[in-house]
Amino acid sequence: MRGSLVIILSFVVALLLSVRPMPEPVGIGRPMWLAMVVAYWVMALPHRVGLVAAWLAGLASDVLYGQLFGQHALVMVLVAWLMLMLYQRIRRFPLWQQSLVMIPVLGLAQLLLLWLNSLAGNRPPTLLFLLPAPVSAVLWPWVSSVLGALRRHFHVV
Amino acid sequence: MTRRLLLAWQQRVCEEHVIKPLFIKGPSLGVRLLVLTVLSVALMVVDARLSVLQPLRSQMGLVLMPFYYVAELPVRSWDAVEQQLSSRANLIAENERLRAEALLTQRKLQKLAALTEQNVRLRELLNSSSLVDERVLVAELIGVDPNPFTQRIIINKGEQDGVFLGQPVLDATGLMGQVVEVLPHTARVLLITDVAHSLPVQVNRNGLRAIATGMGSNEWLELRHVGDTADIRVDDILVSSGLGQRFPAGYPVGRVVSVERDPSQPFADVRVAPTAQLNRSRYLLLVFSPESGYGNVLPALSLEQEQDANAVTGEGPTPAPADAAAPVQGVQPDAR
Repeated sequence: MRGSLVIILSFVVALLLSVRPMPEPVGIGRPMWLAMVVAYWVMALPHRVGLVAAWLAGLASDVLYGQLFGQHALVMVLVAWLMLMLYQRIRRFPLWQQSLVMIPVLGLAQLLLLWLNSLAGNRPPTLLFLLPAPVSAVLWPWVSSVLGALRRHFHVV
Repeated sequence: MTRRLLLAWQQRVCEEHVIKPLFIKGPSLGVRLLVLTVLSVALMVVDARLSVLQPLRSQMGLVLMPFYYVAELPVRSWDAVEQQLSSRANLIAENERLRAEALLTQRKLQKLAALTEQNVRLRELLNSSSLVDERVLVAELIGVDPNPFTQRIIINKGEQDGVFLGQPVLDATGLMGQVVEVLPHTARVLLITDVAHSLPVQVNRNGLRAIATGMGSNEWLELRHVGDTADIRVDDILVSSGLGQRFPAGYPVGRVVSVERDPSQPFADVRVAPTAQLNRSRYLLLVFSPESGYGNVLPALSLEQEQDANAVTGEGPTPAPADAAAPVQGVQPDAR
């Protein structure tokens, strides 16, 4: 029970961070907080946080972002699915190597988001939309350590 | 609880390792992925084409939109602290500035009253429909859309306050945009600088019509399909023309900052700086105008509406002379 609460709270914090006001030039590289949190929980507790949890988190972010229902949901499902395929390997990696793996995972998520956005009619004009993926990958060691500490402190299994 | 889960998990892991069960409990990963993907795509199509999901969005928005308030809380509290600590001299200076501004506005208003009166009289002479005053509702900005490639903002007025889809939004200096999503207590506003937004405008000096399209930057708009020979100059002021039936006519939209006429291009390249302070305004005005329709309900404005109704009945005698005068006007051309 307490474990679920911790997981849900981490999702809430990720959603809060993802709508946090950011100054104009930095806004393009806004880290993909929700995707990172989803990726962490799927990697650490694949039996608990799976595709459905990721999908629901994505729906919440669709409402927050005012986009079509299902866009972010599909992206989060992609992230969770990739992590489910990879978690047995990634868990053994040192943090910096995990970061390297996160670049293609989150990059694919951004590409899917771009594709869905252009289907919905608004395509960003530059390649800068990929920037959040490397930025998130750089932040991954910290996100992963903080969530790991939380997980150990509250004995979430 | 956790131990039981752990045991169950261990059991499952053991089962997986020792012997694969004949019947897997629950659908496999691939099936789950497929189902969720199909579900997402179906949701997207339904959401794009129909409005059946609007109630669900409203309900979720009720829970989720306060996130914008919370996320902005540090900024707000900093503002509050700064206000508390700002020195007396600053306040006095600001007070004086506001006083001066109020005086200037009052002066303009005096002139405006006379002009409005004149305008009404002229319109009566022309026997055209009289100008109906717009009603406004003040809203506060509570968040900016986190997507850096769209120009959208979130305001603290929603369905409960009578906000409706497509409602024009102004700030003190000009037109800002229109409402594109209405939730119970919040609404999303698409700014005129968004790439997906265009609005019909008119050059104030000569009435030349054009379409102003957003370019995705809050610095400037572009005028589409303006001929090379069109009479448009730098520093011309553009106002909304009201032709799109969405924005009320006559509100300032922008000022022309550059006109480039390249003979090899079919159209001139006209750039316009929006007059509204798109990235600075904190307080916005939602307009209830006849052009955009008043929406279906105006709970917050019902009192004002009654007053207006009274005003209209009070003005009853004045249109009457106009009607009386109209036939005379109509007769005159015949007489000639």
